[in-house]
Amino acid sequence: MVLGHESAGIIVEIGTAVTSLKAGDRVAMEPGVPCRYCRYCIEGKYNLCLNMKFAATPPYNGTLTKYYVLPEDFCHKLPENVSLEEGAVVEPLSVAVHACRKAGIKPSTSVVVFGAGPVGLLCAAVAKAFGASKIINVDIQQSRLDFALKYAATNTFLPSKDGNAIENAKAIIEQNDLGDGADYIIEASGAPSSVFTGIHVARPNATYVQVGCGNDVVEFPIIQMGCMELNVKGCFRYGPGDYNLAIGLLRDQKVSVKELITQMVSFKDAQKAFNDVKNGKGIKTIIKGVEVQ
Amino acid sequence: MQISVVLKKKDDLVFEETPIPTLQTPHDCLIEVKYTGICGSDVHYWTHGSIGKFILEAPMVLGHESAGIIVEIGTAVTSVKVGDRVAMEPGVPCRYCRYCIEGKYNLCLNMKFAATPPYNGTLTKYYVLPEDFCHKLPENVSLEEGAVVEPLSVAVHACRKAGIKPSTSVVVFGAGPVGLLCAAVAKAFGASKIINVDIQQSRLDFALKYAATNTFLPSKDGNAIENAKAIIEQNDLGDGADYIIEASGAPSSIFTGIHVARPNATYVQVGCGNDVVEFPIIQMGNWITSRSKG
Repeated sequence: MVLGHESAGIIVEIGTAVTSLKAGDRVAMEPGVPCRYCRYCIEGKYNLCLNMKFAATPPYNGTLTKYYVLPEDFCHKLPENVSLEEGAVVEPLSVAVHACRKAGIKPSTSVVVFGAGPVGLLCAAVAKAFGASKIINVDIQQSRLDFALKYAATNTFLPSKDGNAIENAKAIIEQNDLGDGADYIIEASGAPSSVFTGIHVARPNATYVQVGCGNDVVEFPIIQMGCMELNVKGCFRYGPGDYNLAIGLLRDQKVSVKELITQMVSFKDAQKAFNDVKNGKGIKTIIKGVEVQ
Repeated sequence: MQISVVLKKKDDLVFEETPIPTLQTPHDCLIEVKYTGICGSDVHYWTHGSIGKFILEAPMVLGHESAGIIVEIGTAVTSVKVGDRVAMEPGVPCRYCRYCIEGKYNLCLNMKFAATPPYNGTLTKYYVLPEDFCHKLPENVSLEEGAVVEPLSVAVHACRKAGIKPSTSVVVFGAGPVGLLCAAVAKAFGASKIINVDIQQSRLDFALKYAATNTFLPSKDGNAIENAKAIIEQNDLGDGADYIIEASGAPSSIFTGIHVARPNATYVQVGCGNDVVEFPIIQMGNWITSRSKG
């Protein structure tokens, strides 16, 4: 299977019914093509399509190749002031947009984001763009937190390793004057301890969105969730309007992704890039297209 | 003084005299309690002395599922009068905290709930409640039924939170009082498939006569995912249930409940059991069955 699904490219050929794009247009490529016929597609939740063909999810080939076919509406035109390199970060940015929209982040609220990897950082950036006034990135790596503070977080938190989740939650609340707790929790790490802490850092009736994928099964503080009447939501990829909004945020300079691109390699160095990412190097590594110098 | 059912400490349930309460504000009503249902939480305080962070530290009158007759009203009371039969809503919020103001008084930071320490409950003769927490019973609803309004309101809150729509499918885990009432409310809200799940066949037999359209007895050794699959198949639930109301608190039910859900379904946790459970978070969050048609 060909890997890769976070891509941007240039239209080289269009079908006879394509009207919104032309050859030469620079586009962010939305890699999951839904069937448009199942009830989830019809309901406007195409990310849940029962027949989804997603790039680089078996058995469908991905985009780390020269040419790729997508329907017109899954090619999102990039504005003049958004580069193709940034276009390749639109995919994870759309994940963050989907998460923050699902949370329903309002202005002047508090958001705790667990994880300061690419998705956690982007969630903080989108939360900021949505007007959140307190955005706290939580991570176990201090270097990631240092970056997060320069990027979009208003504060960060390094959980104590032996500290229990409830103590960590309490500390986050105290250190950030969160009152009864955070208004929104975006869990972007998948780590069991973060999930646990996340539920405990929430104020009554807060919204918790699970973006991160980690263990299938975790120890979950369900009584806390129940008694506080938390709104816990699953979050999967992105749906209608997310790519548009992501691109809009870049165009309007409400979110910046350039600083997340820490490495750019040529296509022939793809394997090295994969090793680097596997070893946790940098934030976002981009592989140039086959013909890109 | 009035005779009351008092929990002195864990395992020590007695009759004792307690002071007759008096109206505290012009909005208050004095009610003569006529009927009181027993809730699992009353029993839990009796056998464990605490529920979560609520710890019994002094003798407390039990009971909170009551109905009674108004015997005295405060000067500002206009909506009820002496002699009115009312269902008694046992939790009085402060009306000032942000949750009260937001219209979520059940989350009130200063909630005074009957028979949750340290507040006395309703298993006594007279009880005081503000006017708006005395709900007048219609002519055709008896005081006995009035005492079941409290657990029925738990079920109503759960089903409203779920947002149950007509002609949808609802799986209710638990066929105790709350699970049965959730099935009944789901039915009243128009759900067309209502499946009660329980480990006791006798409860399921009752559920089927009561409000459920079908029931399910999980196999004891069967794993949660297999049980979920069976519920879906036996009830033609397609991709899964539209709504899941978990009214048992049992860890295996929670696990099964998440797996019986269709994509984008709503799962409401009503039941209280273990503090912490094994939770299938990937299934909740991210994992969907991709059914590529070759």
